[in-house]
Amino acid sequence: METGEEFGPWLARQLKLTGKSQAELAEELGLTRAAVSAWITKRSIPRPTVMQEIARALGTDIGTVHSRTTDTQAGLPVTWYHRPGYPDGGRDGGNAAAFAFEPDVQVLARETCQNSLDERIRENGRPVRVRYTIHELTGEKLAAFRQAILWDELQPHYAAVSANAAHQKVGRVIDAGVRDMFENGRLVLLRVDDYNASGLTGDDYDDGRFAAVVRRQLESLKSGSSAGGSYGLGKATLWATSALGLVLINSTLSEPHEGRTERRVIGRLELPWRTVDGRTCAGPAWFGRPDPESPAAEVTRSFWANPETVASLHLTRDGDDPGTSFLIVGAQDVAGLADDDADGGKSDSEENGDDTRDIRAMHRRLVAALGRDFWAAMTGGGNREPLLETSVRTLRNDEIVLEEERVDPANEEPSRTRALRAHFEGTTVERLTESGQVAHRFVPLDLPLSGGGRGTHGRHQALVLITAAEESEEELNQVHYMRGNLMTVKKARVPNLPLGTDPFQAVLLVGRAVGDSVPFVNEAEEFLRAAEPPEHDRWGQTDELTLRWSHSAFRRINRLTTEVNSAVKDLAARPKSAGRRPGGEKLGKALVLKQSPAAGSRVRTGTGRPDLQELSAEIGPAGEWRVTAEVKLPRGVELPAMRPVAELDVRSGPRPRLAWAELEAVDGCEVEDGVLRFVPGVGRATFRGSTDVESHPVRTTLTRLVLELRAEKGD
Amino acid sequence: MKIYPYKRLNRPIALRVTSVSLRLPDGTRDPLDISAFSTQQQTVALGVAGDAWVSARIGLSATLPPGSTAADAPWSDVRVLAVLSDGETNVRTSARLRQSAPESKDWIGDIDVLRDDHVGRASLEVYAVATVDDVAGRSIAETDTPWVVDAMANEPLRGLALDIQQVDFRKSSREWLRPYADAPWIVDASGRVPTVYVNSAVEGLAELLGSRSGGIENKVHELLVTQMATDVWTAVFHSAVGDLEIEPDGSPVFPTDWQGEVLREMLPYVVPDVHVEEALRTVHRRRTGDAGWVELQTRIHFAAIRRAEVTKSLAGILRGLVQMNQGTES
Repeated sequence: METGEEFGPWLARQLKLTGKSQAELAEELGLTRAAVSAWITKRSIPRPTVMQEIARALGTDIGTVHSRTTDTQAGLPVTWYHRPGYPDGGRDGGNAAAFAFEPDVQVLARETCQNSLDERIRENGRPVRVRYTIHELTGEKLAAFRQAILWDELQPHYAAVSANAAHQKVGRVIDAGVRDMFENGRLVLLRVDDYNASGLTGDDYDDGRFAAVVRRQLESLKSGSSAGGSYGLGKATLWATSALGLVLINSTLSEPHEGRTERRVIGRLELPWRTVDGRTCAGPAWFGRPDPESPAAEVTRSFWANPETVASLHLTRDGDDPGTSFLIVGAQDVAGLADDDADGGKSDSEENGDDTRDIRAMHRRLVAALGRDFWAAMTGGGNREPLLETSVRTLRNDEIVLEEERVDPANEEPSRTRALRAHFEGTTVERLTESGQVAHRFVPLDLPLSGGGRGTHGRHQALVLITAAEESEEELNQVHYMRGNLMTVKKARVPNLPLGTDPFQAVLLVGRAVGDSVPFVNEAEEFLRAAEPPEHDRWGQTDELTLRWSHSAFRRINRLTTEVNSAVKDLAARPKSAGRRPGGEKLGKALVLKQSPAAGSRVRTGTGRPDLQELSAEIGPAGEWRVTAEVKLPRGVELPAMRPVAELDVRSGPRPRLAWAELEAVDGCEVEDGVLRFVPGVGRATFRGSTDVESHPVRTTLTRLVLELRAEKGD
Repeated sequence: MKIYPYKRLNRPIALRVTSVSLRLPDGTRDPLDISAFSTQQQTVALGVAGDAWVSARIGLSATLPPGSTAADAPWSDVRVLAVLSDGETNVRTSARLRQSAPESKDWIGDIDVLRDDHVGRASLEVYAVATVDDVAGRSIAETDTPWVVDAMANEPLRGLALDIQQVDFRKSSREWLRPYADAPWIVDASGRVPTVYVNSAVEGLAELLGSRSGGIENKVHELLVTQMATDVWTAVFHSAVGDLEIEPDGSPVFPTDWQGEVLREMLPYVVPDVHVEEALRTVHRRRTGDAGWVELQTRIHFAAIRRAEVTKSLAGILRGLVQMNQGTES
C-alpha cells in the first residue's frame, strides 16, 4: 500500500474540502468535539470502527480513509478559475514571455530538456529520461478529451478572445487554434514527460518548484550551481507552443507534499484580457480544485487525481519514477510548417495524402533538435552514464503512427560524440596519428579575483577535444563550448586555418564538464555561468560578471578563446613549412603544377567540334566490337570531317588500333573512306560500325575499347 | 570513350588514408601525425620526418560503391587491391585489403612503401577485381582520383612545386651556369623536376623576390614574378613537347610525370576545343611536320600568359598604380 499522509492533517483537509466543521463531524459521529480535535492535532487516531463511520460521513469508502493517498471526492468539483480583471482597469496581465517565443518545437525541445536536466535526480547517477509524445485526437477521442478539460466552461472565454482577434496578435493565434480544432475536427497534443527528475514539489503558493512553474512567470528556481536556468523564462515556451494557450500538468514528486507523491495535477491557461458575462478576466486561468481557504473558495489549486481522471486527461505516467508531464493542448509548430513549405511540399505526395504529415514533420524536427542541442548530455562512456536520454513517439487516437524513437546523439554529431565518449572512456591521445582518434589538450582559464581585485584567483584547466570530422557533417572546423550541464553554449569557427587543413570538429569542456578533480572547478563553473546571458548562447560581458568581478573580467574568456584556437590549430593543422623557400613566397606560388582533376578539361572557344555523346557497344558473334555512337554537332559552323578511331586501352605503351570492317552512317552524316562528313544544319549525327576481327591482337572479351573522333589531318 | 566487354559498377571507390607510420633504420616505428596526410588534398607527405626512414606503412580504408555486394551481382569473388605506382621508377606495389565485416562495403588494410623504390611522387589507387563471366581478375571499380604519395615532400600538398634555386651564377659549382652570368634567371627543364635558377649575383634581385613590403616595391615584385612565370611556363612546355615518347605509328604517348601535368594544364589553351590527347597529336604533328610550328608559337605564348595569370596580376598592378598616383596628387 502506498504511504499515505498522516491521519490528522488529511482529515483536516477533507473537512475543509467538504465545508464541514470539526463540531459538525463530531455530531455526526456521536462523539465529542475534543475527540475530533485530538485526531487532527495528531494526539490520537480513531479506532477502526470509527474509521468506517468517518468514511460514511465524508461520503467515501473505507479504503480511502485507510490509505489516505487521495482526497475524498466529496470536496468542491474540479473546475476552472479565471483571474479577475483589476478594479483599476489595468491590463498588465498576460504572459509577456509566452509572446516573445515563436511557436517552434525545436525551441520547446531545448527549453524543456534543459529544465529536465537541471531537475535531474543526481544522487542515483541515472540519466533523466525525457519523452516527447505527439498525439493527434479526432472524433470521439477528441470529444472525450474536450469533456475532460471542461471545454464548455472555457468556450465563452475563447469566444470572447476570438471576437477581439482582429486587434491582438495573440488573439489571432488563439482564434486560429480554436478554428483549426473545430473545422478540421482534430487536436494535436504534445506531451513532454521527464522521469528521474524532481517533479513539481513544494506548496501551491509558496516558494518551490510547483509555484515557480504554475504560479509565477519569470522566476527561476535553480537546483544547483551548474543549472542552465530552470523553469525561468524558458517554461513560457510550453504555453507559446499551444495554439490554445493551454497546458495541463501531472507530476510525480520526489519528496512528498501533503503526504503524497503521485498524480499532482493542475492546468494553466494563458489567454489575453477578456470580458465574459460582464466579468473581466485578466489573463491566466487555472484548472484545479477550488481552495476553500481562498476568498469565496474560488481560486483553484492542484489536486490529487485518481488514475481514471489522469487517464481521461491523457496524463497517465509510466510507473512511479518522479518527474513531471506537461501536456501542451493544440501544439503548433509554425517554424516547422515554414520548413516544410520550403521542400516544395513534395512530402505530400510521398505519404500518399496521409494527413499525418504535420505530426510526422513535428516528430522529425524534434528528433533533429534533440540530437543537435543535447548530443553531449546524451553521451556516456566508461563508467559514466549519460545525463539525459530522450525519445520521441507519435500517436493518433492511441494508435502508433511513428514508433518510439530513442534519439541517438551520434546521428547528429557523430564526431563530437566520439570525442566526448573517448574522453569519458579515457582513450584520448596526445597527438593524432590515426583517423578516428581523439586528441586532448589542456588550456588554461585564469579566474579573476572577485570584487574587482586585480590579479588572478586561480588557474582552471579547460580541456579541448579534437577529432576528424565525418563526411556527413556540415559546419566544419568548429569548436563547441560547454560547461557542467553539457549544453553547447557557443559554437565558433576556428579562424585563420592554413589552407588544406583536413576538416575536424572540436569540443571545449570547462568547469565541471572536465571532471570534478581539476582545480578551481566550482569557481570556473560559477564564473562562466555569470558570463552566460539568459539566451545561453555565449559567454561574455554581463551585468553579473561586472558586479561580482570587474569590468574587464570578460577578457579572461577572450583569452581562453585565443588559447583554444591556438591549441586546435596546433593539433589539427600541419605546421607551416619550415624555413622560407628561396625565391620568395610569391614566385613559389606561381610555379606550382596544380594536378587537379579539373586540369585537362577542354577550353571551349565557342566554335566547337563534333564530339561523341553516346556510345553503346557489344561484342558480336564473330568476336568483333559492334558500336553505335551518337555525335553532338556544334551549331552554325562549317564542320570538319572526323575520323572515328577504335583502339584498345592499355596500361602503358601505344594503344593497338583496330581496323573497321564496316562503318555506316545512320543519321545526319555520310561515311566516305572511313571518315564522317556531317550534314550541315543538324544537331546530332549517328553512325554504326563493327571492327575487323583480323586486326584484333587478343581475344575480344579480354579487351577494353576506346572510341575517339579525330579531326582529319590538315586543320 | 571507353567501353568494357563486361558489367561493372558505375561509381568510383572512395579511398581514405587513415594512418601513416615510418620504419626507421633502427627498426622502430614512428607513427606520423595525421597532418602528414590530407584528405582534401588526397596527398601523403612522407618527408615530414626527414629522410631517415626505410619504409612507410600507409593505413587505408576503401569504400566500394553501392551494389558491389548485391546478391544478384553478375560477379563473384570480389577482391580489393591497393596499387601504388611510380611513373618515374616504374615500380608497382600492390596490397590486398580485407573486408572490415562480412557484406560490408568497407575494406581496410595497409600498403608498405619502400624508401629505395621511389624518388618522388607515386600514385595510389584502389581496384575492386572480381570474376565476371568466368574471367577472373576483372576490374569492376576503381578510385577516380588517385592519392599522391610523395616520398620527399614535408607538406601534403597535391600541387607539384617547381624547384627554385638561388645561386651566384659566376661562382656556382654548377659550371654550366657560368656562361649565363648576365642572366637574372635561367630555367632548367632537364632534371627530375624543372628548376628555376635565380642569379644572386644580380644585386637586389633575391631581396626583391623575398620581400614582403608594400607600395611600389610590391608592384615591381609582382610584375617580376609574372614575367618569370611566363618564361618558365613557356620553357617547360617546349621541353615537354620536345621530349615525347613516340608510338610506332608516329603518334605521341601522353607522359605520366610532370611533363604530362604541364601538357594537361597548357594544351587546352594551345589547341582549344579538343581533348588533350588530340591536342598533343596536333602539336606533335606540327612540330615534326613540314608546316604549322611557327604559327603555333603565338598559341604557346598565349597559353603561358594564361598559365602565369599575367592578365589578372597586371590588372591589379595597374589599379594599384592609379591609386598611388591619385594619392600623391591630392
